[in-house]
Amino acid sequence: MLPSYILHAQEINYMALAVEMIGIRKEFPGVVANDNVNLSVEQGEIHALVGENGAGKTTLMNILYGLYRAEAGTIKIRGKEVHIHRNSDAITLGIGMVHQSFKLVPSFTVAENITLGAEPRKFIFTDRNAVRKNVQEISERFGLQVDPDTRIRDLPVGVQQRVEILKALYRNADILILDEPTAVLTPQETRDLFGVVRSLVAKGKTVIFITHKFREVMEISNRVTVMRDGKVVATKETRDTNPAELARMMVGREVLLRVDKEKARPQEAVLQIQNLKVLDNRNLQAVRDVSLEVHKGEILGIAGVEGNGQRELVEAIVGLRPAIKGAIQVKGKEITGLSVRDRRETGISCVPEDRYVRGVALGASIEDNLIVGNYFKEPMSKGQVLNLSKIADFARDMVKKFDVRTPGTTIPAFTLSGGNLQKVVLAREISAEPELLIVAQPTRGLDVGSIEFVHRRIVEARDKGAAVLLVSAELEEVMSLSDRISVIYEGRIVGTIDADLATEEGLGLWMAGVTDHHKPDEIPAAGDQLDIDQKEANLV
Amino acid sequence: MDWSGVLDVVQRYILNVANLQGMLRLATPVILAGLCALITDRAGILNIAGEGMILFGAWFAVAGSYFFSSSFAGLFAGILTGLVIGGLFALFSLKFRANIIVMGIAINTFANAATIFLTRAVFHVAGSFSDPKLQGFGPINIPGLQSIPILGPLLSGYTFVVYLTWALVILTAVFLYRTPWGLHLRAVGENPQAAETLGINVGRIRFLAVMASGVFAALAGVYLSLAHLNGFVDLMSAGRGFIGMAVNTFGGGAPLGVFLSSLLFGFTDTIGFRLQAERIIPVYFIQMLPYLVTLAALTFFTVRRQRALKAKIATSHAGD
Repeated sequence: MLPSYILHAQEINYMALAVEMIGIRKEFPGVVANDNVNLSVEQGEIHALVGENGAGKTTLMNILYGLYRAEAGTIKIRGKEVHIHRNSDAITLGIGMVHQSFKLVPSFTVAENITLGAEPRKFIFTDRNAVRKNVQEISERFGLQVDPDTRIRDLPVGVQQRVEILKALYRNADILILDEPTAVLTPQETRDLFGVVRSLVAKGKTVIFITHKFREVMEISNRVTVMRDGKVVATKETRDTNPAELARMMVGREVLLRVDKEKARPQEAVLQIQNLKVLDNRNLQAVRDVSLEVHKGEILGIAGVEGNGQRELVEAIVGLRPAIKGAIQVKGKEITGLSVRDRRETGISCVPEDRYVRGVALGASIEDNLIVGNYFKEPMSKGQVLNLSKIADFARDMVKKFDVRTPGTTIPAFTLSGGNLQKVVLAREISAEPELLIVAQPTRGLDVGSIEFVHRRIVEARDKGAAVLLVSAELEEVMSLSDRISVIYEGRIVGTIDADLATEEGLGLWMAGVTDHHKPDEIPAAGDQLDIDQKEANLV
Repeated sequence: MDWSGVLDVVQRYILNVANLQGMLRLATPVILAGLCALITDRAGILNIAGEGMILFGAWFAVAGSYFFSSSFAGLFAGILTGLVIGGLFALFSLKFRANIIVMGIAINTFANAATIFLTRAVFHVAGSFSDPKLQGFGPINIPGLQSIPILGPLLSGYTFVVYLTWALVILTAVFLYRTPWGLHLRAVGENPQAAETLGINVGRIRFLAVMASGVFAALAGVYLSLAHLNGFVDLMSAGRGFIGMAVNTFGGGAPLGVFLSSLLFGFTDTIGFRLQAERIIPVYFIQMLPYLVTLAALTFFTVRRQRALKAKIATSHAGD
């Protein structure tokens, strides 16, 4: 006979599993997204789910949330086997999910968004007083401040995310799935989010945290499950593992997490921009007043939350978007009046942020994609005739040098994976031996292995004498690659600093538009936090 | 200079109670066509089949009224037709995923030919059909109200369908902005994924919206055949289904906006009738007038709205 306390402990242990997914299988045409996946999440823990893009994390969570149906496997919630056919089933079971791209209605108020689909009613009408009251109540109960009457489109991303979390809590979710929640946040907003997540767990909620950032895993999770190629590699206590091990499990081999580079030896300025103003597609000023210089042999990183004018800045330099004011000079030559090709001929190369739209022609062959910048010149063509054998040689050479994994060079580009596509773009742009290389979001959506490769090539281009302008929303990437860092906020450069002197906190403040702190290494004390929130509120 | 002649012309041709009455009457089918466009537009569906739905509604209203000798039987036949056509349209375009534009064109073309054919096959006449057995809607005089000068004749003495339309404008507004279902419909139109992840059945809401649009369009048809004229004329919808889409855009997707912008159409239509009687300008030009004015107004206000937006942006950047 077992002592009673052991029985008791076993019972608790059994009850303590919030989620159990056993033998889950899900296929999409041509891919097995989840292959016999097992996942168990304990009650009241923060469970990180990590893996590269396409490893199957989001698929698995969409199955749990009822957006997809698994072909095989069972799901147990709080120890009981359940059948989740649609996402309303998941909601009823107390599962809530905050998606990577928010599911909010921009013209609705915060309160309307939170209560949508479960509005309190009076007769046949929406009880609008109750809507506001309920939202206020829930926001106070969980300490998530929101103004119920503001429209979503007027809110910053961090607050929108808070609304998403409240939406789940309003539906009595006690298992919360957060899908890459930090991807769109500044470091300060990320810190706030972590605070929220911890307080939710303290109130008895269970959180599943999808991410591919190891630092976040180490900082916030109790346990971590690593996925690769649709399978679970391992589940570990976070304190028993480390970033290097996680990276190895994720990729399946040793990975260099830091960028190895020598100190830059900057020479004369290659790109000079003065007082540039550029409009976005809605005719609003996206770039309001940007002046910057990039020197030969250095990497200037532009950090900033997406949508602060980075895209328009890059498009204005390469000639895809007119500058309404200001000057852009490359090696002292004014280029604002030049066509895209003329600009490229002056020595500009660009790896655009959307490789599927601007980076490659998906239907064209790898060869064609590689020569699209120089097909009209010798040796690729003579007169009006293409030199096909030269082109084939060139393509084979590039594919080898840039490690593009492909069965051939004449197959269409869309057959390649994201990482290999990006290598094709890099090969084309870097092989042109540019004076100025612009790289925008160069590793977005790439796996850890490809990221490493892309980073190495960018540093190589710098060492060969290119001036590199790097634009990235990933602060870590900007910090590890750049020699100097500028932060863009609402179309203005709010600060520039040597990469050696930059701290994440300081850059984060700049990214949030706080410019009073002229020195970014001046880390605010904990007591200052309120002050910053106040400033952010004023800016909004 | 003697202005009394000018004033006389203005009063005679443009601003008089009869013209305002005409405006309210002729705006009615456009308002209904506008609501047809609105309800689908707010659910995120581009429904170009309004034109054909109006024709079907008009034809079956005539048939209903003729065979049952009752205007209300005609009304119900029209509504039923709207539900059926709307349902079929939704079934093919939403459920079976046929291209919604192609489906819309198909319904419009089919309606043109089918109603012509049905008129011949059922009533054995071509071009138009009218019959003493046909019961139309008569004017309703509201006691008390009608004796008030100006306001009386403006608000009293219209057919049932006109009053029904006014009520529908209000009901649609209340539905959209004050009921949970209206909220769901707007959410589905603006961000269907948001609605879906909250357990709202997007497909069902869209299906019902298309059926409702069928009813609105059919009512426009009922008005044309049983209240405006008393009978069916080939192609009598005369582009009102499309004007309804314009009016919806113009009115900013709001029921009251649809109502007000339809009045503009009704007003020019009325003036057109007056001018026709005068035989000054060729009749075809006059018939173009309401459409031209609607287009011109639409362009003018859109341009102005954009300019205002730009000006607002410019002032907001003035501090730069």
